[in-house]
Amino acid sequence: MEAGNNQRQNQHNKATGRRLPGLRLLGALWIGKILITLTRRLGKGGTTLPGRVALAVDPELSFKLAARLERGTLMVTGTNGKTTTASLIDGILEKAGLKCIHNQSGSNMSWGVASTLIENSSLTGRIDGDMAVMEVDEGAFPGIAAALQPRGVVVTNIFRDQLDRFGEIDSIQALIKAGLDTLPPESFQVINADDPSLASLKKNTNASRWTYGLDLELPPDRFENTGQDLKTCPVCFHKLDYTRIYFAHLGHYQCPGCNYRRPEPDVKLTDLKEGASGTSRIRVSLPDQILQLEVPLLGIYNLYNVLAAVTCARALDISSQIISSALKEATPSFGRMERFEKEGREIVMALVKNPVGANEVLRTVLNRTGQINLVVAINDRIADGTDVSWLWDVDFEQLSAVKDRFPAVIASGLRAWDMAVRFKYAGFEPGQVLVEENTGRAIERALEQTAPGGRLFILPTYTAMLEMRGHLNKMGLGSPYWEES
Amino acid sequence: MTGKINIYHLYPNHLNLYGDRGNMLALCRRARWRGIEVNIVPVGPGDGINFSSCDLLFMGGGQDSDQKLVAEDLKGRSAEMRRAAEENMVIFAVCGSYQLLGSYYTTARGEKIGGLEIIDLYTEPGKGRLIGNAAISCSLWGPARTLVGFENHGGRTYLGENLQPLGKVLYGYGNNGTDKTEGAVYNNVIGTYLHGSLLPKNPWLTDHLLQKALAYRHQDITLRELDDSLEIEAHRAAFKLAKGRSR
Repeated sequence: MEAGNNQRQNQHNKATGRRLPGLRLLGALWIGKILITLTRRLGKGGTTLPGRVALAVDPELSFKLAARLERGTLMVTGTNGKTTTASLIDGILEKAGLKCIHNQSGSNMSWGVASTLIENSSLTGRIDGDMAVMEVDEGAFPGIAAALQPRGVVVTNIFRDQLDRFGEIDSIQALIKAGLDTLPPESFQVINADDPSLASLKKNTNASRWTYGLDLELPPDRFENTGQDLKTCPVCFHKLDYTRIYFAHLGHYQCPGCNYRRPEPDVKLTDLKEGASGTSRIRVSLPDQILQLEVPLLGIYNLYNVLAAVTCARALDISSQIISSALKEATPSFGRMERFEKEGREIVMALVKNPVGANEVLRTVLNRTGQINLVVAINDRIADGTDVSWLWDVDFEQLSAVKDRFPAVIASGLRAWDMAVRFKYAGFEPGQVLVEENTGRAIERALEQTAPGGRLFILPTYTAMLEMRGHLNKMGLGSPYWEES
Repeated sequence: MTGKINIYHLYPNHLNLYGDRGNMLALCRRARWRGIEVNIVPVGPGDGINFSSCDLLFMGGGQDSDQKLVAEDLKGRSAEMRRAAEENMVIFAVCGSYQLLGSYYTTARGEKIGGLEIIDLYTEPGKGRLIGNAAISCSLWGPARTLVGFENHGGRTYLGENLQPLGKVLYGYGNNGTDKTEGAVYNNVIGTYLHGSLLPKNPWLTDHLLQKALAYRHQDITLRELDDSLEIEAHRAAFKLAKGRSR
């Protein structure tokens, strides 16, 4: 059970939590609640506008509501794996008997966090939960961390993602650092030791730090050349030497220039066996014990997420039995390899948003046997990233290498033509490449081409995924995301 | 096979930001589709490779930290590169390496990095980054044609008086957000802030680079027309976006 001593939180609660909510907070809360109801009636997810308006009424709304959580707030940030990691942590906490608030629809900006808190509060400001697990966008992280003063923060990794928003990786690292520097001294940080740019971040507060990493012999990642963003030493800019690379720049590194090296992680994954039924059997070594776990998730990138969640649970003193039974029941998160079925056709939808994540998704697609029907839907709204250059860093060549397995590839979304050109230059025959900008019609066309018993993969960017999920819902598949909990 | 082009890719491990792989792919594919052999030579820092067999040198974008690293190594190559530029070798540089072609580049942290001094330009930091879809009009080689891409740069680049820009900004920021110029051209050296990737969506520029690379070693080959219908649609769609989203 969760035995973490929580004096600070309790004092905090005495100071703010038990007090009657002020009028400003109540006003913001009520407006937010009304807007959530209204936007849902209109068939929208209700995660942006209500939070924005409520924060305009009371900028401290998130802090005030979060302060009412008995066990505090956890945050998960980083480029890849936020959603999966946060939902794994959520699952473990629920297993430990805690009621958790969780922004699981991927609404991870300040207004999304605010909307989630509003939704889980009563009209009198009573919050319905013991703890919150918030997935937080890297860009919004410093602001949200300073505002919510979380009890713990998990940082998964830093990859090239949405550079149009953040500038370059150097500045994503600066954002993460700025957020970590605002953490209260009683808090803890969970950091990926295999990511040189994270492990090098100096700790400026008294917060405790836990690190995790892989300790496996694996064949080298063949997509290595696409994610080299951070293979230079974050301390002295020399090129790093790697003895092991798990993917992109994650691995065992050492700088020949200044001797900066990967810290020995507190929590290590020391063995991996892939089960036939889509599960991974792993051995995790903790400072004082070894866990044997079975998780229904595949791929190295997911195992990093599992490791992050285990480390976080460990920092909260949750027992290994609870961790192990929660992970056994884990399910893929929203848009991350979700499965649907339509008249004997299997539809798999997997979010793509940056080269490293997309390459891992393509690897998983190719692991399936037989003919594959494929739709790649690229939008370039702010939540997707407005720069589509990253498509050229995705290894679509691994698909065209077996192009006979693809009856057709469909390019869709606002940047459908960019994607079509990408397919062409990857080596697909021009006749194999279909363009259908409208995401709904793209699904229809793809389904027409998929025979019963066949398989359709849909790879959308974030806002394209929201659209396509809507289309699938209209076909009677899945449910609107705000109804999941 | 008729014709052969040696493409040297400078610092592929350090200058590879923003889909530079797309530019390399476009050059290679469009040459090979015409039966022209392409030989790619990656050049890393400290490699003892000279450019005596190079027809086309490609340099991609990099972050400040990477740029600093390669700037050191580039010093040893600057004389050779200046000579090659005078002799009409093709050099195509995007974003970070475009800045390095000039006389200096001052980083956002105020650090001044010496450039290659191949073309007469310099780069200063500015307030905020210049980010977004962009379209320019280029009339250096025949009738005006458009180029579309995406720009994302903190540096403001200013061209010397006698240096020609690659084009005039139609939508977006260009070199510095004020004088409506984008990129720079000197002999067969082309520098630009546009990525996206630039070459796949602008096949005419890709072909221009290939044609000049062939001519560099007197290979008298006319590039045959290709079916560019997908590329042209992508160009059109990107142009519309740049237009619709411009300030």
